[in-house]
Amino acid sequence: MKTGILVVTVVAAFTAVAAAQTPNARDISGYWELTYMDGQHVPRAQLVPRVTRAVLDAQAQKDFKAVRWCNIVGMPAIMASPRPLDIRQGEKTIAIAAEINAATRYLYLNRTTHISKDIFDPTTNGDSIAKWEGDTLVVDTIGFDPNKGVTAIPGGGFRTANTHLVERYRLLNNGSLLSVRFTWTDPGVFRAPHTYEFRYARLARDYEARLPLNCDPFDETRTAFLTARP
Amino acid sequence: MQVKLLAAALGTLAFVFGISTTLAAQRSAADGARALEGGWVRLDTTGSGSFGGLTANFARAVLTPEGAAKLKPQRDPDDVEPDNRPHKAGEPYIVTQGRCGGFGPGGVEPNSAALFIIPSRDEVLLTREGPGARHIYTDGREHPPLSRIAAGLGHSTATWDNGDLVIDTIGLPEGGVTAGGWRTPETHLTERYHVEDDGMHMRLTFTWTDPKIYAKPHSYSFQFERVPADGYAFENWCDSGDPLQRQSVVPPEQLP
Repeated sequence: MKTGILVVTVVAAFTAVAAAQTPNARDISGYWELTYMDGQHVPRAQLVPRVTRAVLDAQAQKDFKAVRWCNIVGMPAIMASPRPLDIRQGEKTIAIAAEINAATRYLYLNRTTHISKDIFDPTTNGDSIAKWEGDTLVVDTIGFDPNKGVTAIPGGGFRTANTHLVERYRLLNNGSLLSVRFTWTDPGVFRAPHTYEFRYARLARDYEARLPLNCDPFDETRTAFLTARP
Repeated sequence: MQVKLLAAALGTLAFVFGISTTLAAQRSAADGARALEGGWVRLDTTGSGSFGGLTANFARAVLTPEGAAKLKPQRDPDDVEPDNRPHKAGEPYIVTQGRCGGFGPGGVEPNSAALFIIPSRDEVLLTREGPGARHIYTDGREHPPLSRIAAGLGHSTATWDNGDLVIDTIGLPEGGVTAGGWRTPETHLTERYHVEDDGMHMRLTFTWTDPKIYAKPHSYSFQFERVPADGYAFENWCDSGDPLQRQSVVPPEQLP
């Protein structure tokens, strides 16, 4: 009897300790790095006929101008950052800060509807609302600015004012990997919803953020590199 | 045997109780984090109506002779030579090089942009409405040696004190401080974020400490108001390729 009480007590104690140390499947806070080579599964997008080569070239020119002049890049480029992303999850908001020239993304957990189009000025990151469905964080974004930042979408196509993005974030491998499935919908660009997945590796807890990569629009060497034919 | 069993059970209970005590201590931090999370807008509590006016009434820094000798005029490196000619109302004139892309940590002193605070278990993220963020480590780590702190970023650690977030920063680049102060990488900055009981207002107190520069700690406070629950972060846009980015303009005369 006494032995039984002791066993139960010990089990309860160690269960409490284990619970405190187990990664919370509904907390994606941490530093995350897109894994090299095997971190991106991106099929080719199916584009509508009106998105011709000429349309794509014109959009690429806009994107080039954004890079040339060090504009903030916005979505989806921020999620393909070559530097780690710092994702911090509060009770009401999740912030995604990058070490590149991108404005911080805010994913609002405390809103179930988007800001009215009458109020919201389109941005490079758009307006993102988020909710948990089981262990998956579902983020819904609209309100993109079609003329600012880098608009190209991995696999083909580009964001417009009518683009709708749904992201599904999920921790894998006991919290050591973060999977993000992106699904882009835009009847003016895509024939069918365009889905791809990125996987990010969790960095060690002692990782410390670095200064964002500098971008100098008046650096002549940089400009020559960007504009000259190789 | 019974004594050993009793001792083991008591030890286990003490262990569990220890965890409970730790969790209780964390609740205080959790309460502070819950209160602090969100967007905050700096208030002009003195009705100064101007950027400089807000801090004009702050107590001036009391400097050591060595500190006073360090003071020198500060200028935004992006500014062009001042155009002191008189300008008519509505006339644009060039004031900056229009350089975007120098994405630092967003500065440590508040400006007119909203400040967003997102506490997590190991780190508090301080962001504004553009690129760059301050990463405040709350996991108990120490500051690294100054030689290992990246230029321009500084290194910040923090603790929770009765629900207040208290940040200690070193390694900031040399330069001016509000109300006649000065800083070097060795200078300690302590920031205390205190949310008022109404949950809608916050007081942020800066204290600069450096025996080489200050005869006594240099301290001042800003007041903030919480961004409404349905509010959101704007996105600061900068385009070096836009000539208007470089201009300022004399505002037209305002109607009474």
